[in-house]
Amino acid sequence: MAIDRSALPPLGEPTSLEFPEIVRETLPGGVQLRTVDYRQQSLVSLILLLRSGSAADPVGREGLAGLTAALIDEGSERYSALALHEALGDVGGRLGIDVFSDATVLSITALARYTDHALKLLLDVAMAPRFEAHDFNRVRALRINRILQLRQSAGAVADRLFLRALYGQHPYGHAAIGTENELAAISLEDLHAFHATHYARTNWTVVAVGSGNGSDLRSIVEEGISRLVPSPVVTRPSHPTSPFADPLPPPNRLVFVAREGAVQSELRIGSLGVARRINGYEALTVLDMVLGGQFSSRLNLNLREAKGYTYGVRSSFEARCGRGPFVVRTAVDAEVTADAVHEVVREISDIRGLRPVTDDEVMAARSALTRGFPRSFETAGQVARAAMRLAVFELPDDEYTTFVPRIAGVDRDAVTAAAREHLDPDGLIVVVVGPPAVRASLVDLGFGEPFDTTSD
Amino acid sequence: MLPRRVIQHELLTMVDLPHLKVTLDNGLDVIVHENHECPIVAVNVWYHVGSKNERPGRTGFAHLFEHLMFEGSAHHDSGYFHPLQEAGGALNGSTNADRTNYWEVVPRDALDRALWMESDRMGYLLSALTQSKLDTQRDVVLNERRQTYENRPYGFAGIAMMAAHFPMPHPYHWPTIGIPDDIRAANLDDVRDFFAAYYHPANASLSIAGDVVAKEVIGTVAEYFGEITGGPTHDTVVAPRYQGRAGVKLRLDDQVELPRLYLSWPSPALFGAGDAELDLVADVLGGGKSSRLYRALMHDRQMATDVSVHQGSQELSGLFSVVVTAAPENTLTEVEAVVAEEIARVASDGLTEAELHRARSRLEADFAWRRQSVGGFGGISDQLNAYNVFAGTPNFFVADFDRYVGATEASLRGVVTNVLLSDTRIALSVVPRGDGDAALADSELLEIG
Repeated sequence: MAIDRSALPPLGEPTSLEFPEIVRETLPGGVQLRTVDYRQQSLVSLILLLRSGSAADPVGREGLAGLTAALIDEGSERYSALALHEALGDVGGRLGIDVFSDATVLSITALARYTDHALKLLLDVAMAPRFEAHDFNRVRALRINRILQLRQSAGAVADRLFLRALYGQHPYGHAAIGTENELAAISLEDLHAFHATHYARTNWTVVAVGSGNGSDLRSIVEEGISRLVPSPVVTRPSHPTSPFADPLPPPNRLVFVAREGAVQSELRIGSLGVARRINGYEALTVLDMVLGGQFSSRLNLNLREAKGYTYGVRSSFEARCGRGPFVVRTAVDAEVTADAVHEVVREISDIRGLRPVTDDEVMAARSALTRGFPRSFETAGQVARAAMRLAVFELPDDEYTTFVPRIAGVDRDAVTAAAREHLDPDGLIVVVVGPPAVRASLVDLGFGEPFDTTSD
Repeated sequence: MLPRRVIQHELLTMVDLPHLKVTLDNGLDVIVHENHECPIVAVNVWYHVGSKNERPGRTGFAHLFEHLMFEGSAHHDSGYFHPLQEAGGALNGSTNADRTNYWEVVPRDALDRALWMESDRMGYLLSALTQSKLDTQRDVVLNERRQTYENRPYGFAGIAMMAAHFPMPHPYHWPTIGIPDDIRAANLDDVRDFFAAYYHPANASLSIAGDVVAKEVIGTVAEYFGEITGGPTHDTVVAPRYQGRAGVKLRLDDQVELPRLYLSWPSPALFGAGDAELDLVADVLGGGKSSRLYRALMHDRQMATDVSVHQGSQELSGLFSVVVTAAPENTLTEVEAVVAEEIARVASDGLTEAELHRARSRLEADFAWRRQSVGGFGGISDQLNAYNVFAGTPNFFVADFDRYVGATEASLRGVVTNVLLSDTRIALSVVPRGDGDAALADSELLEIG
């Protein structure tokens, strides 16, 4: 029988996925534990979350959280660096070290049957790093060299300058890697002090997601943690959940870096966004989908699919404990730099008034989010990171079980209201990293005279 | 720790993926793997065509064509992203020298929509094609080239290396992204000819993995795809004899902060004799912080800021490569000497049991990693198609795994001697503009743009 090609097959009843239960407990010593029994997985995902990231860097020591984390796999009390990486290989494990603004995330994903070994490794590196002077000097030099190399990456330069322009000296104003001078100023004592405070067990949240029967996974992790030698109780560091004060208004709204010979301009356009825990995050999520959060968004359909200016453009409200950035990122053909900036600003403006979101757009965005929900929880690692986000942002345990109905309840008016509240065309700042010739074309964009700076 | 034999047995049960394969009358291979852990389905289509099937003057065309596949087909003449994203799906595609793939991961209720759309663009693309779509996607692709290669530090190194190892008329000579003038020259006739030659069931492989019942889904696939006519089959592209510029030293001047050395050797093709051994050698030399080159260059002598080692095997041939960026105050000449010394040491003194064990464990665990997701690049459905297209059968997981189990210290030393100690090495120095002396001595300056 021939297929009916007169219309696309309609979608069925939305496929539902019940987010698995997160079992929470507080272990002696103040460690928060969250375990999830999740299907038959051959891999287990373990996360040790410290709710301290680059925003906890002391002023003048930007990069300290990142450098501390970079040294944790250089050897611990029980394992030399070599032995540690050999042991990881033995359990089929991968160690992840990620430093975000509000969190440091140490993780191991390993073959599930070696859960106890993998946990031991994770706890040992977090608790008892060697921090030897020669390793410290070597790793710090590597990170300084990395900063040198990033000067020639137009995208990295644009990202760094955007944060700097938006936040200034605010704790969110620098990347986790820090800057050359501040890294050079950090001493081994600084690392020890940072570790003593922020790696204290009172600041740990351990997340374990894996297979089998949950009691097994839970008891393995409980036992592993309770076997640890008691440590001095350190007061939990204060978390940036009580949001930082807003940064001062940026002195420059248009920042330009001349990159000799560049065939594209890297653009970052945005403003101060919201803290993750605000009320109405759902409407904002839908708004972002329509504006620039997916391929079939207004920004991408305009700049890429209609005009061919770019390979792609995306917007995002970055989730942070304090007010995170709202940013549009793209790289465009240098010849259309000013036109592209103009179009991005116009789309941001229009969605607040001239062309508010339509019912069709809201329905499509809601549908993408709610129907796409099961896709986000296929692997143990995905579930573990989801459970971890709840801890980072102090969100309720039912955040995911109520996600679909909350998104489904967002209507057009709520999205438009969110656009008017959280998008601020007059507060936008623009960073352009492009060839010198495009500078003149930026003067008439309404952001004032470009402020010239360099990639250093 | 358990004995190795037990570990391997356990891993083997994890890598063996049960599946069903049928070939429709029009030549389309259909492969289905049931996996009910998550209520999603992955649809994955491979066309056995890549940049190696292009002709000079139209390089970059296979990839440009891939872009057009997302712009609409006869019965859905608008973008492919909207209806699939609205369905809760994710989708993408990619092109390399050997093949082009397209995938969707959708909640199970949207499987019909994904199959409808994949079959519509396989069968009925051309009537939706317009000059304006071609013009816009040409601009998008030129921007992709700028973003990925032209405006990126060291962006042309890989392209220069392939060109040097595979002189014309070898079809790996030109980059998949293409030469800008060729991309600009592409016209609608080219699109029609390419579609007729390569985009049809007999040159495609469709793989479905996820929350489906295999027998039922094969029936559904037959309904959607069975009506499409199979086109001409093609002789396999045969690899011309290797005629690379063995031993040559090259130099590129680029907007970079630190000089970087690329060393590469022609190596076995995908699944060829020695390919798995070279994967293991790459891990011993450069996999993680306990590897030999990391220890020597980054830890002990602190001469480098990064090091990576890779056996890049493709359908016709492979390249084994070592890439090292020199730390400030260190020269590529010094770096090169250490790399050569470490490689010679493997050949002369061999590997320790612990090194071999670690490399194998890591590669074996990769098999478990790769089967965590049913879809996307490298997920189960993509793997089944890769095996079907390149090994001739989707039933190749265990055989693939056995290649690593069967590798021995002697076989690793053998490939090091035969491949890495041969005189086929090409060295490329990428140096900051105006600092030509940072390159290895007697390097020939390349002009690329």
